[in-house]
Amino acid sequence: MTTPAAVMIEARGVEKWYPNGFHALRGVDLTVHQGEVVVIMGPSGSGKSTFLRTFNALEDFQQGSIEVDGIPLSDDLRQIDAVRREVGMVFQQFNLFPHLSVLDNLTLAPVLVRKLPKQAVQRRALELLDRVGIAEQAHKYPGQLSGGQQQRVAIARSLCMEPRVMLFDEPTSALDPEMVQEVLEVMQGLAQDGMTMVVVTHEVRFARQVAHRVVLMDGGMVVEIAPPEQFFSNPQHERSKQFLRQIG
Amino acid sequence: MAPAPPATLRPGPWQWLRRELFGSRLDGLISIALLGFLLAAALGLAKWAIFQAQWTVISANSTLFAVGRYPLEQQWRLWLLTTLLALATGLSWGLLRALPRSGSSGPPPILWPRNDRWAAAILVLLALWRPLALQLTLAIQLRWWAITALLLLARWAAGRWGQALPPLVRRLIPLIWPLLYLVGMVLISGGLGLVQVAPSDWGGLLLTLLMATFAILLCFPLGVLLALGRRSTLPLLRWGSLLYIEFIRGAPLITLLFLGQNILGFLLPGGLAPDRVWRAAWVLTFFAAAYVAEAVRSGLAAVPAGQLEAARSLGLSMPFALIHVVLPQAMRVALPATVGQFITLLQDTTLLSLIGLLDLLGTARTVMANPAFLGRNAEVYLVLAVLFWCCCAALGLGSRALETRLNPNLAPSR
Repeated sequence: MTTPAAVMIEARGVEKWYPNGFHALRGVDLTVHQGEVVVIMGPSGSGKSTFLRTFNALEDFQQGSIEVDGIPLSDDLRQIDAVRREVGMVFQQFNLFPHLSVLDNLTLAPVLVRKLPKQAVQRRALELLDRVGIAEQAHKYPGQLSGGQQQRVAIARSLCMEPRVMLFDEPTSALDPEMVQEVLEVMQGLAQDGMTMVVVTHEVRFARQVAHRVVLMDGGMVVEIAPPEQFFSNPQHERSKQFLRQIG
Repeated sequence: MAPAPPATLRPGPWQWLRRELFGSRLDGLISIALLGFLLAAALGLAKWAIFQAQWTVISANSTLFAVGRYPLEQQWRLWLLTTLLALATGLSWGLLRALPRSGSSGPPPILWPRNDRWAAAILVLLALWRPLALQLTLAIQLRWWAITALLLLARWAAGRWGQALPPLVRRLIPLIWPLLYLVGMVLISGGLGLVQVAPSDWGGLLLTLLMATFAILLCFPLGVLLALGRRSTLPLLRWGSLLYIEFIRGAPLITLLFLGQNILGFLLPGGLAPDRVWRAAWVLTFFAAAYVAEAVRSGLAAVPAGQLEAARSLGLSMPFALIHVVLPQAMRVALPATVGQFITLLQDTTLLSLIGLLDLLGTARTVMANPAFLGRNAEVYLVLAVLFWCCCAALGLGSRALETRLNPNLAPSR
């Protein structure tokens, strides 16, 4: 990084065991700065999604510490809620609310959580839908949209809460191939606007073009952290080389 | 132009008959045998109903069947309540037609769709036929006609001008139902300047419907809370809910009704269950809540975990996430089973006659015990069955209408 930026996410020695005893995260460290785009890659079962989900307390952890925007994550529900208000999340399966119209999907949380007036939120929601290219679908229901459109709605839904960080958990993995690009373009635009993003994905081209740093995880540990040009052309670790060969 | 679908897709009635009933020789034989059997049964029933049955047992006791021993000089209160109910029904019905669900972009609403015309015709027929069949006095006939006319008028007016209502009024209109329930309770039982009518004087259809609606209204929120409790992460809450549900489901209702008469006085704060009727109402409520909880639980299980995660990750608190995201989807799944439970509950009110209450069945038993109507059991039971069938059919129809309204055939998002 050329300019020193504020730290947005600070994870230190995060350890997680699942109730069945599986050791999912084995002392993971990661620092994400404001405005930075970090892509996490790794084979399935490497703990990358689990790690991402600890950032907004969808997964708990037993040891280590995580701070998001200066707020430490603990068992305190008020702090968890405070963090969740600052962190947007986009899921592999979109998880749109099927019983609400697209517009209501966007306005639900800002009206209920931030207590903003509905009119203002709706205006903002329509702007966001316009930005992700589906303003004309505002009054449809999620089930009437294509997968790519649904995922773009999901991104707009998160943005409507005006988060400081966006987390993406394999946002294109459930999409038909021809719809991947439209979602990646929205994410790229978001990165250009300076959004802090942590993205778990297998999209190498996205990582090359958009990421500031690429993280490779395996077996619940961070194997390598490097800028994309170095990671993809000159990986330092044997495990990274092996992973790149497998997905290459 | 798109090609027309082949004619076999929508056959005429004769083609349908030939294909479905007489498709092969065996099919034809079975069809003829069944049709003959049905015809014989229908003829027998008709012969009995016209030549042998003596319907005076019904017409002479129609007031008893309707309201039991409710004091005659206070019955105007029930007429007032019926009028208010008709008004509210007409209003809600018309508004449902005038205001399509928000966000849907269908054709503009039709004032009188075909089903509604059928319903209106049936209402008018009932209003015309009922006074004649029951040999009511002219004054009472006039009342029934006026109430039916009022219902249809309200339906028409609300359908015609519903869209012109300001949004605030529209949102307040569903509140007339809980309000009406409270008003109805006061009208029936007295108080606020009205003469008290003791619950032991309520009877017949009035008591049956009162018990059923009371239990249905209260068992539903209770059941939802129990279902949530059963899935809670708090062990005490989870075990408590589980214990309650399994205890209730493991005991027959009649046992609980007798038990409730004896111990409910200790369990509920005084005043909530002052007499036999209210104790029975609470037992019905607690009983049905356990079954509703199981129905809701299956609905909750059908909502993908990602829905709660998405809601929580947007910053919604647990209560908000449950109320706005999880429960609406769970209820859509649980609705048919829940309404099935309501229908069972309505029928279970007949057990009240066994603990000495004069609900429809209890009233029927006193009528049949009257020497003047000895041996007229068949007529009484048949009318009872038809009455219950009508109530249950209404519940079922309402549930199906609600289902389509909640779920306009949208594929669920994953």
